Amino acid sequence: MSGDVLIEVRGLRTYFPIRRGLLRTKVGDVKAVDGVSFHIRRGETLGLVGESGSGKTTVGRSLLRLQEPTAGAIFVDGVDFLALSGAKLRQTRRRLQMVFQDPYASLNPRMKVEDLIAEPLQIQGVLRRAAIRARVAELMDLVGLPAQARGRYAHEFSGGQRQRIGIARALALNPDLIVCDEAIASLDVSIQAQIVNLLEDLQQQLGLTYLFIAHDLSMVRHISDRIAVMYLGKIMELADRDAIHERPLHPYTQALISAIPVPDPDLEAAREHIVLEGDMPSPASPPPGCVFSTRCRFAQPRCSAEVPDWREVSPGHFAACHFA
Amino acid sequence: MTMLEIRDLAVSFATEGGTVRAVNGISYALKEGEVLGVVGESGSGKSVHALAVMQLLSPPAARVETGEIRFRGTDLLRLDDRAMRAVRGRQIGMIFQDPISSLNPVYTVGFQLCEVLRLHLGLSRRNATTCAAELLSLVGIPDARQRLASYPHELSGGMRQRVMIALAIACNPSLVIADEPTTALDVTIQAQIVALIKRLQRDMNLTVIWISHDLGVIAGLAQTVNVMYAGHIVERGPVRSIYKDPRHPYTVGLLGSLPRLDETVGGRLRSIPGRPPDMTQLPPGCPFAARCPQASERCGAGMPPVEDVGDGHSVRCWHWRDVVAARAA
Ligand SMILES: Nc1ncnc2c1ncn2[C@@H]1O[C@H](COP(=O)(O)OP(=O)(O)OP(=O)(O)O)[C@@H](O)[C@H]1O
Ligand SMILES: Nc1ncnc2c1ncn2[C@@H]1O[C@H](COP(=O)(O)OP(=O)(O)O)[C@@H](O)[C@H]1O
Ligand code: SF4
Ligand code: SF4
Ligand SMILES: [Mg+2]
Ligand SMILES: [Mg+2]
Repeated sequence: MSGDVLIEVRGLRTYFPIRRGLLRTKVGDVKAVDGVSFHIRRGETLGLVGESGSGKTTVGRSLLRLQEPTAGAIFVDGVDFLALSGAKLRQTRRRLQMVFQDPYASLNPRMKVEDLIAEPLQIQGVLRRAAIRARVAELMDLVGLPAQARGRYAHEFSGGQRQRIGIARALALNPDLIVCDEAIASLDVSIQAQIVNLLEDLQQQLGLTYLFIAHDLSMVRHISDRIAVMYLGKIMELADRDAIHERPLHPYTQALISAIPVPDPDLEAAREHIVLEGDMPSPASPPPGCVFSTRCRFAQPRCSAEVPDWREVSPGHFAACHFA
Repeated sequence: MTMLEIRDLAVSFATEGGTVRAVNGISYALKEGEVLGVVGESGSGKSVHALAVMQLLSPPAARVETGEIRFRGTDLLRLDDRAMRAVRGRQIGMIFQDPISSLNPVYTVGFQLCEVLRLHLGLSRRNATTCAAELLSLVGIPDARQRLASYPHELSGGMRQRVMIALAIACNPSLVIADEPTTALDVTIQAQIVALIKRLQRDMNLTVIWISHDLGVIAGLAQTVNVMYAGHIVERGPVRSIYKDPRHPYTVGLLGSLPRLDETVGGRLRSIPGRPPDMTQLPPGCPFAARCPQASERCGAGMPPVEDVGDGHSVRCWHWRDVVAARAA
């Protein structure tokens, strides 16, 4: 199922400058993404989880260069993506698409469904009108939108259907990778399942690769092959979907997994929840040493002095903790 | 003892698009100290039913068509505004999903808490301040005294929700209604809030109505569950019975839509096809019929009655026996 490496990210940093005063002098940085490395194989789904503000969206946006990274390297099929410009950049960018969280905000309500889906094709400007019409029909069928819906406006659709429109747009240019950023978060449980099934079917049919960003770990486990756990701009742990759930090595992952309520009254009654104290610190002033040290149950003096290495603890299982 | 009894409650809204039939004849009773979970699709009437109990629906658009809401024996629908204000906040507290819009941004947290305490309990300024600080530490806010001077925007989402909880329990109410109080929060913060509510519920013997999309949270918190669909309670029962032995096709579908911990790689989710009906044009029969794998002709003709299936579990489905049989097979 999973083949060669499609995406390789090394030491990615994306900072947002904090400016103050009349002269807008830079007084610091929001370190939204602060040195992350991972790869995604072709046909694979990598899940990316973490609390809000941990930098998940910024990783996704940096990957597509919707946000220029501050440092690090991104390789797409071995090609240095950050070094590309002009036509080469456009060509590669087309292969990387995104589906957004809010199907309400991300689609222009005054556009018809067919125009929304045709838009990326028109911008690309290769296909003729008739070919675009045919491609739109094909895409609508692919994502399960009824053909009669083509003349209707986005605001006439329910959340789940709007998300289908968003997926059709992302698919229009035959991408290799789709970044799904909280793509199901705003949907009802029963509709979430429809969209997740659709994403899985499309992956099978088209050989797509996904970066699936979410904070619902049980859904991430369902859809992902491997999972990366982010906290305050860094990846804390990365491993196989089952290893992350059954043998989490990092104290943050352990707390996160234990915090997810399971839909089973017997299991819930028997489980012990690790309740993390306090909130995530601000990425404008992350704590020294291990960024999780202010909330970690196992923190030692060393933890606030030394940044833990990103280590491969067992084959394919990475963690950043002195004691993992 | 029965704390709250709702009988045949129906609520509608007059809108430009037609009459929205938000709640369509629901009945249930809540015992003192009970924790009730309310689940269901977006738009199924969960919030509207809670707002009806609190009498926070705004006329003339909102109309209670029928029903009674008896709180400790008194029908709240018959109380005048003044009497209802005394019940609200004093005897029934409410916690909303979005604390930022329910807290007043221009006043400090301390001022808002003291207002409630002085208004409802007649405390002096000094006593109210002491009591407010105690409440903040009770809900787990560190440096409570100093925090009284904070404005809502200066607090994190989780802290604001703690303040909301402090406000809701300030006057020692007997019933607390929490409408999606953790939906906007991260799971680690959600776990903090759930643990807090559990502790308060036990210590203060609170009766709680907890509305949520999250079947996991409800599994860990509720004793009884109401499953709502299109303004009806389609199934109701003890939490274990609802999760382990659901009788209504919608409940079965809802639980099937969730990923299971023991699933194998490549397993598909059993999603429910289609989507909920338009609440301005509800079908004459069972509102779930268009999405239901068990539907028959009969289902389109009439709404099934509430049937008791034993052990405090009831269901509204013509074919619930087939649902049970299908699972056994
Ligand atoms: N003020 C209002 N005016 C008109 N219609 C309304 C109003 N408030 C609610 N409704 C409608 O009443 C129905 C029930 O709404 P309600 O808010 O109770 O749903 P809910 O179950 O709480 O959903 P959610 O899970 O999205 O919070 C919906 O169709 C909704 O659109
Ligand atoms: N355009 C921006 N300007 C300034 N700060 C930003 C911007 N986008 C994100 N951030 C900050 O970067 C951090 C990570 O944000 P984000 O990637 O959106 O996290 P997540 O998706 O995990 O919730 C947050 O502190 C956020 O406020
Ligand atoms: S390095 Fe220290 S503080 Fe960080 S996760 Fe490990 S034990 Fe906790
Ligand atoms: S009454 Fe009929 S349509 Fe409704 S849930 Fe039961 S079987 Fe399905
Ligand atoms: Mg995000
Ligand atoms: Mg609601």
